[in-house]
Amino acid sequence: MINQIKTKFSDPDFKDLVVTNVVAIIAGILISGIMLLLIKINPIEAFSVATASVMSDKYTFAEILVKATPLIFTGLAFAFTYKANLFNIGAQGQFYIGTIVAVAISLSIGDVVPGFIGIIVVMALTIVAGAIYGGLIGLVKAKKGANEFLISMMSTYVAIAFMNFLLRTSLRETRGEYPQTDVIPESMRLPIIWGGTRLHLGFILAVLTAVTLWLILFKTPFGFRVRAVGNNASAAVQAGINSSKTTIITFAISGAMGALAGFLVVNGIQYMVIQGYYAEVGALGIGIAILANGNPIGVIFAALLFGGIQVIGIEMTMRAKTPTSFTYLMLGCVTLFVIISYYFRRVMKINRDKKKLVDGVSK
Amino acid sequence: MIDTLATALMMSTPLLYGAISEMFTERSGVMNTSIEGAFLMGAFGGFVGAYISGSLLIGFIFAIISGVLLTFIYGIVTVKYKQHQVVTGTALNILALGLATFLFRVIFGIPVIPLKVTPLQTIAIPLLSKIPFVGPIFFDQNLLTYIMYFIVPASFYVLYKTSYGLIIRSTGENPEAVDVAGVDVNRVRITMLLIAGAFCGIAGAFYSLTILGLFTSSIIGGRGWIAFAICFLGNWRPYGVLFGALAFGLAEAIGIRFMVMEGMVIPNEFFIALPYILTIILTITRNSFNIPAKLGVPYNKE
Repeated sequence: MINQIKTKFSDPDFKDLVVTNVVAIIAGILISGIMLLLIKINPIEAFSVATASVMSDKYTFAEILVKATPLIFTGLAFAFTYKANLFNIGAQGQFYIGTIVAVAISLSIGDVVPGFIGIIVVMALTIVAGAIYGGLIGLVKAKKGANEFLISMMSTYVAIAFMNFLLRTSLRETRGEYPQTDVIPESMRLPIIWGGTRLHLGFILAVLTAVTLWLILFKTPFGFRVRAVGNNASAAVQAGINSSKTTIITFAISGAMGALAGFLVVNGIQYMVIQGYYAEVGALGIGIAILANGNPIGVIFAALLFGGIQVIGIEMTMRAKTPTSFTYLMLGCVTLFVIISYYFRRVMKINRDKKKLVDGVSK
Repeated sequence: MIDTLATALMMSTPLLYGAISEMFTERSGVMNTSIEGAFLMGAFGGFVGAYISGSLLIGFIFAIISGVLLTFIYGIVTVKYKQHQVVTGTALNILALGLATFLFRVIFGIPVIPLKVTPLQTIAIPLLSKIPFVGPIFFDQNLLTYIMYFIVPASFYVLYKTSYGLIIRSTGENPEAVDVAGVDVNRVRITMLLIAGAFCGIAGAFYSLTILGLFTSSIIGGRGWIAFAICFLGNWRPYGVLFGALAFGLAEAIGIRFMVMEGMVIPNEFFIALPYILTIILTITRNSFNIPAKLGVPYNKE
């Protein structure tokens, strides 16, 4: 294992990837930290107070994993299509579809079916709903050549309107006060895996799913087809790959990922649907997938980073009185710098190749 | 009825500003996917400028500066550094959200009562506004809507009848030829993005300074993306864009109208979703697109 890591790091491309990403992340946090001076908050003090509290309190520490759980899924939702050079930016809508299905099924079968079976049923139906909602985008892309970027974006707003409609009518809480659902029965909640925290089984599920998607992408013929379509669609078709089938399945898997994020939020953390909650989970998923360069395993680490930034941001708000928007400032800066680091990585690679060429000639 | 149509025209104004600017950038071969963020920065900058100075004009100037700043960063990263446009846009949209909300807090602290400015008023044009039916719809609007009437023919003229328009169109279709002719491809694209930033800034400020008179972080709520879609559905042509903007403005006006009506058979959310559903249907059903050949492809000088 250690040897494997060593060989990975001796590969200059991988080393550049790690180094430039770390520099970009630090630069992003530094720049946003400097902006704290504008509201006369000492950024170093604020950061250290927040970090100390994350490190000393297991509840807060576990929150990083809790926040990362849905982000791993929305990250995967973007990453999987990204590998096929397709753009599913509708993870937000697929997430809301997932929350609606999860809460509706949990509420209706929660008291009838025993918990364990019930949770499996809810999860399966969420996957189906997400796969259909995402797969339809793939279908029109494959059959009609429609712009998937635009359609997935629009499908989010349709899902939001649909959710708001349900929260105003049939799914509205029995008290009828707020646009939110009732709380799901206790038997339908995912078990907590770390006592005294909110960390639930969903995190394990998220990590396993990411590993599975990685295996599918890099170790199966289907994954090869996905990447072939992504690298060069016309060449893939020439080689006999059914690109429209690949597109549809890729989008269905991607949609299922978005919906699963919703399932985990409903059955794992919130136990209900509240109008407009988690409004940035889709966009952050895109940032995470970019940070990971579309690699499912990388998505886990990137999601942990984003979860960590969110928790640090919350702690800073509580202990150092920074505004809540500061979290998004950090996330936006980090993502932007990571994108810029892609450019510098390319320049470094070109320079290295040039050097190799020059060395080769002079020998 | 007349009210709804007048509202429709007003609501389509910012969409048209955004979509026309998107048309110009896409014609030059680069998508402005930071459009939602540019709208938000415009709404923010416009409100700040207007609130502090007390002048709407200064507000709109601030809006232009804020929008241009965002698209400038976008242009550097996508055109100069050649990074992926969808990906960069997403990052900038998150950043714009954080930046606008954070700076709002920096400037105003936590206000006890929501801060407001007096919105841009309508100016009834003498005589013309007295024409039955047409008058109250078209000639009792605000200044920016009046300017909108001229933007479409003007952009048609620039795009198809001037030499710079030809350069813009060629940059999107055949950048190599433009390069050979001695024109800097990247400079054309960045110029288009900066102009788009100005237009999107005004469009965003339209929400904070004309429609509402206040600023919230959710003020744009996807309207930037609607403008993005309108450019697409308008087939990258000025009059197509005009038609799209009017259709979406009308859908929005109908949504507002039904929101205040009680006991509706069709739920109000349906009308809110209608523009998005329409976009999906139109995107699927249209086959012949006038899509610029090099849209989204960075130009590499060999």
